[in-house]
Amino acid sequence: MSLPQSPATSGTPSRAVLARLRGVHKTYGPVRVLDLPELDLYAGQVVGVVGENGAGKSTLMGTLAGSVHRDGGEIEIDGAPLVPGSTHAAQDLGVALVSQEFPLVGQLSVAENLLLGRRPKESKRKVLTDRRAQRAEAVAILARIGVTEREIPVGRTVRTLPVPARQLIEIAKAFGRKPRLLILDEPTSSLGPVEAARVLRLARQLADEGGTVLFIGHRLDEVRQVSDRIIVLRNGRLVADLDRAEASEDRLIREMVGGEIAHSEPKVADREKPVLLTIKGLTADGLGPVDLEVRAGEIMGIAGLMGSGRSRLIHTVAGAQPATGGTMQLEGAAYAPHGVGDGAQAGIALIPEDRKEQSLVLFAPIKDNVTVGILRKISSRGVLGPRRRRQEGQRIAESVNVRMQSVEQPIGSLSGGNQQRAIFGRAFASNPKLLLLDEPTRGVDVGAKAEIYELIDRAAAQGMAVLAASSELEELLWICNRIAVMNHGRVVEVLERAEATKERIMTAAAGTAVSTLNGPLTNGAVA
Amino acid sequence: MSTQTTLPPAGAQGTAQPAQRSGLTRLLIETPETGVIAACVVFFILISFKAPTFHSVGNLQVVGRDLGQTGILAIGESLVILTGGIDLSVGALAGLAGILAAWFNVSGHMPAPLAILLTIVICGIAGLWHGLMVTRLNVPPFVITLVTYTVTIGAALAITSGTPISGTDPLFQNLSAFYVGQIPVPALIFVGAVIITWFLLERTYVGRQIYAVGGNKEAARLAAIPIKRRITSVYVASAALAGVVGVLTVGRESGTADPSVGGSGWELIAIAAAVVGGVSLFGGEGRIIGIAAGAILLEIIHNGLLSMHVNQYDIQMVQGAVLGVAILLDRLRARYFGRGERG
Repeated sequence: MSLPQSPATSGTPSRAVLARLRGVHKTYGPVRVLDLPELDLYAGQVVGVVGENGAGKSTLMGTLAGSVHRDGGEIEIDGAPLVPGSTHAAQDLGVALVSQEFPLVGQLSVAENLLLGRRPKESKRKVLTDRRAQRAEAVAILARIGVTEREIPVGRTVRTLPVPARQLIEIAKAFGRKPRLLILDEPTSSLGPVEAARVLRLARQLADEGGTVLFIGHRLDEVRQVSDRIIVLRNGRLVADLDRAEASEDRLIREMVGGEIAHSEPKVADREKPVLLTIKGLTADGLGPVDLEVRAGEIMGIAGLMGSGRSRLIHTVAGAQPATGGTMQLEGAAYAPHGVGDGAQAGIALIPEDRKEQSLVLFAPIKDNVTVGILRKISSRGVLGPRRRRQEGQRIAESVNVRMQSVEQPIGSLSGGNQQRAIFGRAFASNPKLLLLDEPTRGVDVGAKAEIYELIDRAAAQGMAVLAASSELEELLWICNRIAVMNHGRVVEVLERAEATKERIMTAAAGTAVSTLNGPLTNGAVA
Repeated sequence: MSTQTTLPPAGAQGTAQPAQRSGLTRLLIETPETGVIAACVVFFILISFKAPTFHSVGNLQVVGRDLGQTGILAIGESLVILTGGIDLSVGALAGLAGILAAWFNVSGHMPAPLAILLTIVICGIAGLWHGLMVTRLNVPPFVITLVTYTVTIGAALAITSGTPISGTDPLFQNLSAFYVGQIPVPALIFVGAVIITWFLLERTYVGRQIYAVGGNKEAARLAAIPIKRRITSVYVASAALAGVVGVLTVGRESGTADPSVGGSGWELIAIAAAVVGGVSLFGGEGRIIGIAAGAILLEIIHNGLLSMHVNQYDIQMVQGAVLGVAILLDRLRARYFGRGERG
């Protein structure tokens, strides 16, 4: 079986333009996340979209699907202008989006989800449900993507189905709208190889039928297999527009990371320092087995693509996610946390990814936010005095240079960088041995980033071991002594700072994922 | 090239695994209401043995009339809970409705049918107010219905100066004290409400969309379901049903409207019946059969304990315990079948 390739659409220079984008741009705060002077998408093509995290892929996708309100510029689908910021307008013009989180109603049946918000086409009833027509149409929609009743019974409650089945339903839903422009956002990330191959085939098929598919993917091999044309985004700009033939994996990685390399003194880990954290064969849901050693005073970065297990590793070490196997040692003593409480007890401080959701009580004063981890320590015989609380809060906030009027002001009134510094202060206050960071500078402006890097350096200088997961390679190259690259829940490479480059990290993070795709698709497409 | 031939045969992937479970397990997964219904039967038999008067026709008629109150409230309440909201005002609103209907009839000299209609419309407007506040201004349902709760209890007392209104039209009594065959009218109204609600929820698009709104608001929004209208409508339904209940209470008290009715905590019984019947407080989950069974179970226990001469205070504790056990069993079931997490 080979991948269907329509000769009419591959390589012909003059094709009908399906989507025309002119001057489309979008700005969040000071950052221009998308800036496309000119982009045409042709009918009959699968267009791969690649780029680093934050390159603007999701913004481009959201702009086309109407879920992101573009700041300016014109978009035409089949010659008809697309109103900005309306998912309905986009749907009416034939844009369908399959996102990574599936908006399905778990309590309803598969058939009801497939026809959510509309009546079966065959049904004459206006008010009453028509189960037979609904069922028939649902079966037909699933059949369109080659899913049989036996695989996914349309009467089943969606909640009782496994994740891959839900992903297929979501894809079927999008196909059911007979889209002109289908946007697939990492559609295969939650699928096994067989289902992934099926989805790629469907993308191909839709293009052969004259539609356009925008395929956003992290696995470069997969994108290369399915796409006729690959566009590379970097910092919101279109930096490369390549034919399939030109788009070698090396080229793509080079375009994605750009020419510039982060300049910093390559830090060398102090080999003399004792190993603080030892991880052996650690497994958890979606993680492992992982082996890793981190020395006191060392900053170990964790790189990897989305879903590679970066956060999971951090969380498992912190005790926030249960380990299913393997061992950990902290300063030579066995460490097997049954919750974050155990982690904190053992001297581990975690600074999670989402400041607002996971770290702060935004409307509470700064002093309360920074002292929450040491309340017992600053209480005398279990009673917390107001003055002590204020003093400690002041001390902690000042130790990390939080710029504020008063410790009584709500922490939500501070800037992102100041909030993040306050969180560092809180973590330092409990004198941890190991500092775990998940995206330490997310949502922080450039100036404040440097200050946070200083804090991380300070932690290491004081002898803490630091394990920092980040999606920003420059950041890791800037702060780390060593970088562990993760892929599919495993550490695939540990690079010394001196040998680490963006290209090497990207290759390790993306390159090896390649082999997971097997089956007939590979044969047809690579040829 | 047809779709079928281009795609690899699937099957071994096991997308539909859980279907292979045994019949009983599947029944329990797919019909969580089985437990409540079984409990109704068990309690009915047990209490019948302990208290011979319990299953007498006269007592069962009392049970039926009670269902015409808490049961109907439970249905309206459940509709609101299905969308992920809560309506704390139903008990108080029912109380005020009784007063209003009697007051319009007695002091306002309105004919009884008009008084009743006007009362239900006024309650519906209160529901509309709840719905608009919740959907337009994003006021938490808990808060806005608590406001109404407080105001309506006050209003009922203010209208009556605390003394019951008597001398209403005989129609009020006929509604509650009349029988069709041996069945009291309020019980029939309850059954009617159950059937209409079943039809609405299971057989109309509006009903299915109510589940979608409660189950996954984002999915509903993307599917262009009119979320605000659906949510508003359940608050209107809940409040209007409270109005119906209020009218029925007047008849039960021999045509007297008692301002103390509103404060008797019926909204809590209604919420309890919904939860016992398998309605999830997170929204999107629960069926009318469970809601009805939940209301019936609570009523059987309440009335049964009365027949066994258990005092009122102890009964309240038992009712609380039943709610506790129901929640516990529901969570255990959810965990056992691996759907502890929501959605």
